Amino acid sequence: MDAVLSVQGLCKQYEHFALQNVAFTVQPGEIMGFIGRNGAGKTTTLKSILNFVHPDSGEIRFFGQTFAEAEMAIKSKIGFVSGGVDYYIHKKLRVITSVTRRFYPDWDDEACTNYMQQFRLDENKTPAELSAGMKVKYNLVLALSHHAELLLLDEPTSGLDPVSRDELLDIFLELSKAGTSILFSTHITSDLDKCADRITYIHAGQIVASEEINRFVSAYRAVELREEELTEAMKPQLIGLKPAKHGYSAIVKADDAPAFPSATATDLETVMIHLEKEHEA
Amino acid sequence: MKNLLIKEWKLAIHPTVLLFFGLALMLLIPSYPFYVVFFYTVLGLFFVCVTGRENKDIEYTLTLPIRKRDAVRSRILFAMLVELCQCVMVALVVFLRNALQIGPNEAGMDANVALFGLSLIMLGLFNHLFFIRYYRNPLKVGKAFAFSAIMTFVYILFAEASTFIFPFFQNRLDTPDPLFMPEKLVTLAVGLLLFLLLSWDACRKAEQSFEALDF
Repeated sequence: MDAVLSVQGLCKQYEHFALQNVAFTVQPGEIMGFIGRNGAGKTTTLKSILNFVHPDSGEIRFFGQTFAEAEMAIKSKIGFVSGGVDYYIHKKLRVITSVTRRFYPDWDDEACTNYMQQFRLDENKTPAELSAGMKVKYNLVLALSHHAELLLLDEPTSGLDPVSRDELLDIFLELSKAGTSILFSTHITSDLDKCADRITYIHAGQIVASEEINRFVSAYRAVELREEELTEAMKPQLIGLKPAKHGYSAIVKADDAPAFPSATATDLETVMIHLEKEHEA
Repeated sequence: MKNLLIKEWKLAIHPTVLLFFGLALMLLIPSYPFYVVFFYTVLGLFFVCVTGRENKDIEYTLTLPIRKRDAVRSRILFAMLVELCQCVMVALVVFLRNALQIGPNEAGMDANVALFGLSLIMLGLFNHLFFIRYYRNPLKVGKAFAFSAIMTFVYILFAEASTFIFPFFQNRLDTPDPLFMPEKLVTLAVGLLLFLLLSWDACRKAEQSFEALDF
């Protein structure tokens, strides 16, 4: 089966930043977490994918087709949620919905009504009157009501309280079960621990890894060392060594873990923090 | 395109666009530079673009299943429709003015058929100057408007001064209808043609700039 989204060799040069050979794929029904620290190139990549930004080179295929071949058909099958709805914030939701629905041949009024009820959205409110979480939900309603097969979410959980974030993650999981693919950019890695199947990790415009989340995380172990335990001989194996509360923390490759009795299983956030630290060094 | 025009009407339109249609009533003022009425029309269009920037209209529009150039085309077509609506409103008031026998305009061009031709040239000129600059960088809409507004004012000054300087304008065009109707109808036809040509060229160039733009 064709990948829902395939990005190959994507390059974009700016004066002080460049996307270099970005490549990854999103498979049907999968939640792909797109992680990286602020400024790593997540939004630029998403914008390039959507043709908001013109890549210098590379190929982007949605459902096997490029934008040049089938821009309108592709846009009908995707939904882009850049945080919450932040356009026409003083117009009533029902007006925005009534305008938006016209553009989608597959728009499903019943689904729209159901999602509005499920998310407890009042169509007579304006986006300005919605909380951050509700704004994201309304954007999702618009995407889901035209049966988007792929959702591109740019930091949808940023700025949300933990309960709202958890609610959204549950929704993503349900959508994924129903066959919707999700590319979910975030720097809140704990969100991905809860819902992502795979992650693509970008650092300074380059893809560091694009693989199954468990495989990526289990390739490393967390190590905590007291000051007196740290030796020069250990340092080449320690990744992203940094001061911690009772000494130092780092990660090591799973293969090197036997040399570190204190090595424990780790999580995505710890891996990312130490990899970033290592890149800085 | 129809859906995009509905989007312009339901979401993008600024209240002043409708309010300024009412300024067609200024044609009832006995002596007044009537081109100013049409200047308010383009001011309304500027407000549409300014509020569009604040409302992230372009960002919203580009996520819809449309071609990027359609966003430009629909905005310029919407502007042209607004401008032509204003012409219709002004035409209705001119009928009223004539019925009330208000008399000739001492401040400039008479409210006659030629005024519409010359005003359409002004509107076409504005569209050409404004939209080409606006779509080079929609965030700098004020800069695009400032330049276009100044040039439009220069045109208004020139058009009004022509009725005092050039005999053809003074003796043929700046006269009550139906005097010298052939000359006035030709002026109207030329005005309409230039309006369409300038707006079409603005659309073509604006599309090119906008296509190349990164958001």
